[in-house]
Amino acid sequence: MLPMALMNGLVMGVIYALAALGVSLVVGIMNVINFAHGEFYILAGYFSYLFADTLGLNPILSMSLAVGMVFLFGIVIEYTIIRPTYGNHMYSLILTFILSIVLQNAYLLIFGPYPKKPPGWVKGATNIFGDFCYGNQRLAALAAGTVLIVAVFLLIKKTWFGRMIRAASQDREMAELNGVNTALLNTFSFGLGCALAAAAGVVLAPVFPVTPTSGVPVALTAFVVVVLGGMGSMWGCVIGGLILGLVENLGAAFISTGYKHLFGFIILIVVLAVKPSGLFGSRET
Amino acid sequence: MLNMAGINVFRGETQVLWDVSLVVGEREKVAILGGNGAGKSTLLQSIMGILRPASGTIAFKGDSLVGKKPYQIIQLGLALVPEGRHIYKDMSVWENLEMGAYPRRGRKWMRETMVEVTSLFPFLRDRRDQSAGTLSGGEQQMLAIGRALMSRPEMLFVDELSLGLAPIVIKEIFRVLEGLSRRTTIMLVEQNVEQALKHSERAYILKSGRIDRSGPSLELANDPDIKKAYLGL
Repeated sequence: MLPMALMNGLVMGVIYALAALGVSLVVGIMNVINFAHGEFYILAGYFSYLFADTLGLNPILSMSLAVGMVFLFGIVIEYTIIRPTYGNHMYSLILTFILSIVLQNAYLLIFGPYPKKPPGWVKGATNIFGDFCYGNQRLAALAAGTVLIVAVFLLIKKTWFGRMIRAASQDREMAELNGVNTALLNTFSFGLGCALAAAAGVVLAPVFPVTPTSGVPVALTAFVVVVLGGMGSMWGCVIGGLILGLVENLGAAFISTGYKHLFGFIILIVVLAVKPSGLFGSRET
Repeated sequence: MLNMAGINVFRGETQVLWDVSLVVGEREKVAILGGNGAGKSTLLQSIMGILRPASGTIAFKGDSLVGKKPYQIIQLGLALVPEGRHIYKDMSVWENLEMGAYPRRGRKWMRETMVEVTSLFPFLRDRRDQSAGTLSGGEQQMLAIGRALMSRPEMLFVDELSLGLAPIVIKEIFRVLEGLSRRTTIMLVEQNVEQALKHSERAYILKSGRIDRSGPSLELANDPDIKKAYLGL
């Protein structure tokens, strides 16, 4: 039971880390908390279902298309409803909360209440250490999630775009005075944040089918991960995501599945009590 | 090179600058002086596009700056060393310099400029991977100057260079600026009137948002009124 729970924990941890990276990016650069993060995650699941199941496209292609569509949708949302709220975080908070409700109901209307599941990329299961059999789809999700996280790290640490993002997160006015068009950077980063939620969504949807409200727990967990790991820290997102994924699944396996989400919050409370800035957070913020 | 004519600038409801006009020629070294609240920062922010003048014109090499965004103005060849340095503390020294090279021509010549800037301040090369927040105040000021130079500016604006620095460090930095002024136009915005007059060719003195006096720095430094008001003599 232990190895099984560990594997499940890793898969979920990687997904949480991806979703949290998206939240962290948007909070860091725009100071906007996107309450509809989970709905972007679900939207990608629905898109990949539509492309793969209804249109019969290749799963990888439909996933990429789904992430691309959500990226564009994020850009439209930033431009139309977030941009007018610059300077007042309360408005963007309320607006994204409304957006989340609107989207959930739109999904219900369009896709119905029943779970939708895009086809898996691989079939069968692998025997791990001769110990137990683990679904290949979950292993593939773990691998894909890891690759995506590495890609995000490279993007942020090694490219001009990443440098601009880090500079603007630290000192927005100075970045503008270094020639960065920060308004455009905002729009783009918001789109990227949504795309990261979408990436988490398409990777996990073949394992856990999507329903109109199944994004809520993932988004909530992503917020918890960001706070747990420390605002603005990318390593915090990864480590925090893995801790939460593992704790939830180990707790579910050995104590009770009913308390699955409780374990995460207990960890959060303990960490915040000891280190209020989170695991990797800097002292000032 | 820089032409400012009759600008009036408000912060909220309050008028901060009144009919300010000034001219800076190519490769000139001009100081803007004045006490706290005289409007020096407002003047700088109007040039950089952070504040928009209610009336008047600002032009750089014939291009109007009024109504342009800061990031567009920077592309024209201006660079700012801001008051308080504003280095990116959580990024490495090298990344700070790279951010300075973000404007078009900075990126084009990044490798060459990096060599030039690190020969001005050799410690930047030795500590390239150190996080910039760990540098001392003087070193941070030098990094801020280096970062501004990375964009290969035609005109460099330096805001409150000497604030909070040891005299020996100030001297060292002014020596570097002296060398730069052979190819770059420099505008010093300073509260430290004595230092600024010593290191500039011409100066404008702002008082309550108006240009109070202007002229060659040497002349102003020897003026009895100014000695009394600003130099404490």
